[in-house]
Amino acid sequence: MELTHEINDDVVHIGIKGKLDSRTAPSFEERLMQIIDQGHKKIMIDFARLDYISSAGFRVLLFGARRLAESSGTIALFGLQPKIRNVFDIAGFSSIFSIFSSREEAEKSLKA
Amino acid sequence: MPNKILIVDDEPDLELLINMNFKREIRAGQYQFVYALNGAEALDKLEANGDVDVVLTDINMPQMDGLTLLARLNEQYPVLRTVIVSAYGDMSNIRTALNRGAFDFVTKPIDLQDLGITLTKAIKEAEDRKQALQNQENLLHIQNELGVASRIQSSILPRTFPPFPDRTEIDISAAIFPAREVGGDFYDFFFLDAHRLGIVIGDVSGKGVPAALFMAVSRTFLKATALTGLPPADCLAQINRTLYKESVAGMFVTLIYAIFDTRNGELIYSNGGHNLPLVLRSDGTVEALDRVEGIAIAASGKARFSEGRVQLQRGDVLVLYTDGISEAFNLKNEEFGEERLATSLRNMVGGSAKELTDGLIAEVNGFADGAQQSDDLTVLVLRYVDWED
Repeated sequence: MELTHEINDDVVHIGIKGKLDSRTAPSFEERLMQIIDQGHKKIMIDFARLDYISSAGFRVLLFGARRLAESSGTIALFGLQPKIRNVFDIAGFSSIFSIFSSREEAEKSLKA
Repeated sequence: MPNKILIVDDEPDLELLINMNFKREIRAGQYQFVYALNGAEALDKLEANGDVDVVLTDINMPQMDGLTLLARLNEQYPVLRTVIVSAYGDMSNIRTALNRGAFDFVTKPIDLQDLGITLTKAIKEAEDRKQALQNQENLLHIQNELGVASRIQSSILPRTFPPFPDRTEIDISAAIFPAREVGGDFYDFFFLDAHRLGIVIGDVSGKGVPAALFMAVSRTFLKATALTGLPPADCLAQINRTLYKESVAGMFVTLIYAIFDTRNGELIYSNGGHNLPLVLRSDGTVEALDRVEGIAIAASGKARFSEGRVQLQRGDVLVLYTDGISEAFNLKNEEFGEERLATSLRNMVGGSAKELTDGLIAEVNGFADGAQQSDDLTVLVLRYVDWED
């Protein structure tokens, strides 16, 4: 798994590539919590190059979303591959997370 | 605590030399020297001073020589390091000593500066070995505890098959293989009354110890709630409300809770974000249960759950599984997938619950072909037995 992140205005863009499973979830968790600890409230995550997500990866996303919710922040996800989207649907997570088809839509929702 | 160094030499004047040269280290409490005149005495001193880090020993001594001592040290004190003192040019003894595990050597006449450096190196090495040994012991301890945890964990799941020998209308089998010593998958089944059987399969996020703890809580809480007789959807809603508050670090559990009526084959189920169970009909068709509203348990405080219903005929089989089955990978990084799962079941139509369980596990293992198991693997099979059986 590879992680990138940059900050534009008050929105944090996270890019994630490869497999998000129990082996890679800890480093994703560390990065995400760092960003949240720094007080950022608007986070968008680019899933376009994410090929696999296990429940360990979902746990980190949920943890991030719950922590952000405490400070009225939000996470917007976009670019999910159909296979990944299907896993979100099975677990019912499509109704918990804000999922967008493009970067622009995700950005617009965060800036609204 | 000073580092202890045992000096073994039959010439007592070495003691004077050492004490003078390492005066500062001795006074600062950094080094403590112990002396022996030969190998036999050295072993006695070691017994009295168990925490010696380095032994500096001459080779030629009465009673027990340095090479014999070295062999004994290797056996009895594998952590401490030995430095050999030998005559300049006595290469054959030096080679023998190094081959027998001496850490280093110094030659006579002793260059005290070099001796200082050699001792520092030997002490560092001895401490590293001590630390490594300690780490290894800690690891063994943890492994033992995990072994116990693993036995406790498997003992809380029903393990006796057939579980209800006098209930000839149902045939149940299950198998569970955690990816590590303990896992986050579980299954369960229990009679709610004389005719209705509660069936559960669950998969906690992640694996290992955190998942195992959450698994134990989820499994127990679900069973206790189910036994009050609540319908599946209400049951999931109730445990979701509580577990959502208890969940740490975003942990969640996907699960299916179903109630099977053994009189008429009706199955009523609710789904907390789990893979939909499959029905293998007696004619070999495989169908997934219909999707129903629901979210993984403990993921959202606002989750709502609805119920689905499916009719099993005699000879039909219900197969519940976790994604360790469908997402098993082989060495080419291909996924077992739902397609292969359905095909495997279709090929085993007519088999008993145990045959289907074992056959499916064998199929997945054969597919993985030695690739490391990445997730816990669980399957639970319920066959509604034919009249003829």
